[in-house]
Amino acid sequence: MGPYPCGSAAVGWEGVRSEVQCTAAPDIDGLLAGAGYRVRSSDLCQVAQRLERLESAMVYSSGGGHVDYDHLASDAVHYNPSDLASWVDSMLSELTPADPGPVRQAPAPDGWVDQIYPQPQRAVAARMEEEEDSGIRLVHLLMSSAEAIQRGDAALSGSLIDEMRLLLTRVNTGFGIGKVAGYFVDALTRRLYSVSSPAASGSPAEYEILYHHFYEASPYLKFAHFTANQAILEAFDGHDRVHVIDFSLMHGLQWPALIQALALRPGGPPSLRLTGIGPPSPDGRDSLREIGLRLAELARSVRVRFAFRGVAANRLDDVRPWMLQVAPGEAVAVNSVMQLHRLLTDPDSPGPAPIDSVLSWIHGLRPKIVTVVEQEADHNKPGFLDRFTEALFYYSTMFDSLEAGRANGSAAQQQQATAVAEVYLQREIRDIVCCEGPNRAERHELLVRWRARMGQTGFKPVHLGSNAFKQASMLLTLFSGEGYCVEEVDGCLTLGWHSRPLIAASAWRADDLEDNARPVPDNFIFSSISSTSNTNDSNNNNHNNNDIINSNGSMLRRNSNNNSRSSDSSSQQESIHGM
Amino acid sequence: MAGSNEVNVNESKRVVPLNTWVLISNFKLKYNMLRRPDGTFNRHLAEFLDRKVSANATPVNGVLSFDLLIDRPTSLLVRIYRPSPFPDTDNTEPSTSSMSSLLTDLIQPPSSDPFPVIVFFHGGSFAHSSANTAIYDSLCRRFVSLCNAVVISVNYRRSPEYRYPCAYDDGWTALKWASTQPWLHSGKDSKLRVFLAGDSSGGNIAHHVGLRAIESGITISGNILLNPMFGGQARTESEKRLDGKYFVTIQDRDWYWKAFLPEGADRDHPACNPFGPNGNDLKGLPFPRSIVVVAGLDLVQDWQLAYVDGLKKAGQDVKLVYREQATIGFYLLPNTDHFYEVMEEIKGFVSSNC
Repeated sequence: MGPYPCGSAAVGWEGVRSEVQCTAAPDIDGLLAGAGYRVRSSDLCQVAQRLERLESAMVYSSGGGHVDYDHLASDAVHYNPSDLASWVDSMLSELTPADPGPVRQAPAPDGWVDQIYPQPQRAVAARMEEEEDSGIRLVHLLMSSAEAIQRGDAALSGSLIDEMRLLLTRVNTGFGIGKVAGYFVDALTRRLYSVSSPAASGSPAEYEILYHHFYEASPYLKFAHFTANQAILEAFDGHDRVHVIDFSLMHGLQWPALIQALALRPGGPPSLRLTGIGPPSPDGRDSLREIGLRLAELARSVRVRFAFRGVAANRLDDVRPWMLQVAPGEAVAVNSVMQLHRLLTDPDSPGPAPIDSVLSWIHGLRPKIVTVVEQEADHNKPGFLDRFTEALFYYSTMFDSLEAGRANGSAAQQQQATAVAEVYLQREIRDIVCCEGPNRAERHELLVRWRARMGQTGFKPVHLGSNAFKQASMLLTLFSGEGYCVEEVDGCLTLGWHSRPLIAASAWRADDLEDNARPVPDNFIFSSISSTSNTNDSNNNNHNNNDIINSNGSMLRRNSNNNSRSSDSSSQQESIHGM
Repeated sequence: MAGSNEVNVNESKRVVPLNTWVLISNFKLKYNMLRRPDGTFNRHLAEFLDRKVSANATPVNGVLSFDLLIDRPTSLLVRIYRPSPFPDTDNTEPSTSSMSSLLTDLIQPPSSDPFPVIVFFHGGSFAHSSANTAIYDSLCRRFVSLCNAVVISVNYRRSPEYRYPCAYDDGWTALKWASTQPWLHSGKDSKLRVFLAGDSSGGNIAHHVGLRAIESGITISGNILLNPMFGGQARTESEKRLDGKYFVTIQDRDWYWKAFLPEGADRDHPACNPFGPNGNDLKGLPFPRSIVVVAGLDLVQDWQLAYVDGLKKAGQDVKLVYREQATIGFYLLPNTDHFYEVMEEIKGFVSSNC
């Protein structure tokens, strides 16, 4: 039984698609736009003709008698259904390969990225609890307290917090609004009373444990992984040498599935390089390498030629493209699951943000595919109350979904995973509520903003198609808690809970040589390398994370190159660390 | 010349605007792909292809919307549309200091005067679409502006995964829920002035929820049926005459009934044929007064007209609005006289029965 009695948890939130004729480009048929389809008025006639042809082709292909369009439905992959002209053309080319001249070259460059600029958003959750008003009261108090903080009235905020603490003793904090409120009261308390700037606490190792439990307790990260993998797999089609750059390796949970999928590829697997970026291990362990070894073992068992490289960096903007050693002729995939938002700054702070230079050098790698998964939330607003409110509703929904998962999974392991997953989320809440300026890392922005940013950098969208959608939907049927929903939005996929999207996946490319690519800024000369204790470690077993672990288990020496070296390093002990 | 697989595009293109033709043909072809001959439905592809919009609590053209989960065990969502509680604040955010009151603003009555509440069931032949499908989001918003109403769009369970009577159960749940909401009651007598409305399968649901309401004590001010989906075992003249001519075929109608009705039932089941051999006698019962809109180029019109007749014979109050040259889906795009005149009819019906 979920936390909210019947009578509701409500989520109404942003989006102006139903009135998009106000914002659609002038040549777009406004009425069809309102129905969710973008067709240029000048194309209407042609699209109509193509629809007629498609119908004829469908009837013809079914043999005229027993009608069965299974090929189109099951085998063909559908992309971006809003672009009706392209959809019709792609269906026609499925049925009639020798088709003369489509209405539109598919996939059409998405010129609408600029048009649909974020409208004033409002995330609202109206919670109506029949049994007690304490829930509503808590939410009101939270908002008032946040508002007082924004105004600088610490005294009022403090007294409101006291009132909330009292109220929390009377409500059930085991689930529902009581639980979420508890976390936010905790965060407000920290913001108000912490003497020093409350930076994110805990070590990378702790964070990995929390991450792992969040991975187990909910479908969000799994969705991220295999939506991205699906796009990567499709982008690697036809390439023999492929290179995946993972912006946050963690336990490498994403990669076994890709390795196995590549192993089963018709025509045989490519040779796969994986470059995993992650924080340096403080205690002399080389966790990146350990993961690389495990993945190499798996690759070996399924006969995929595999090489791994670890790049240790505390921050993504410490990474330089040369560290990734992209080789000419290999197809590059860049994978970022919930990392890019850390590179953002306050929207109203002047000057370039790290995201700009990072996106720029990613673009410079000419990747076949860039997979971006981000929290679908507007948590980078400069105003505290706005941000607080958005976060309250976002995490309420998130907690609600975890709760439903827990209620249905009775295994003790599931219960534990959920409990620890909540701690994972609590870290995000604390960051959003307590931290300001460079201390705040969880600067989530909405898909529509990311799409604009990627478009402005020169990336072209790669639409995630019906294959990915179907697999995502099927994944969700493994989870009880029937509220999860996958949606397709302009070629991207979102996963949400009860109609509120919570995580969004999109894919991009920059491999078109005719692109007006923005050059990688030339102020990226890496000026120093600090070597760490690893280079002093003479233990031959503790190789550094720049070693390439060959899939047959032996270690390849790194080729010498133009990188600076630390003075006491031998060729076996070179390290690449971004500090 | 009408075989159900022959393509008769010329006729349909003559009677609807081009963008309407593109829209409905697009649906037709997509829906053809989703129905499998063995009676199963390609739900994943259907959800992928469906164009949806999010709820938006910021008013747009004076209307805002938000989603509510009203029954957890069945994950029953409704999308509620209402006039903006903030005068003259389209597309602007209320000041942040009032944000804490925004929560309860959403569920304040839109006015102190009596206002209608329309419980709306989207169409889709029981299998397609959702409450957040773009075409239905537009339609519901229009109803709000047209009638100054609160519209509750029900995201009922669809076939073939959920057969009869699930959609009716969900409709009934939503109606019952509305009757428990103080903010939906208006006027000096604090009454719920509720209308049941729907197009295609939604019209069928409106009828059956109206039936259930009879013994419940919930008074329904009116039923609004737009091209309602009814049928029967016999093949009527209109079905034979119009088969395949205006986007719809007998074959696809048969498929949807087979997917919705209980296994083994035929189309004379009362869900499909309420005034057929297995139907209820409504004589003397307080069935809601109805307005039924029938499109003259809809192949099931003979069943719809029989429905109207059935209500009349049972002494019930029913108004027929017959649009001779209209096809299915004419109410989806505001680009014909059919659209505007039918909206006026609905507006008049609601205001005179509210």
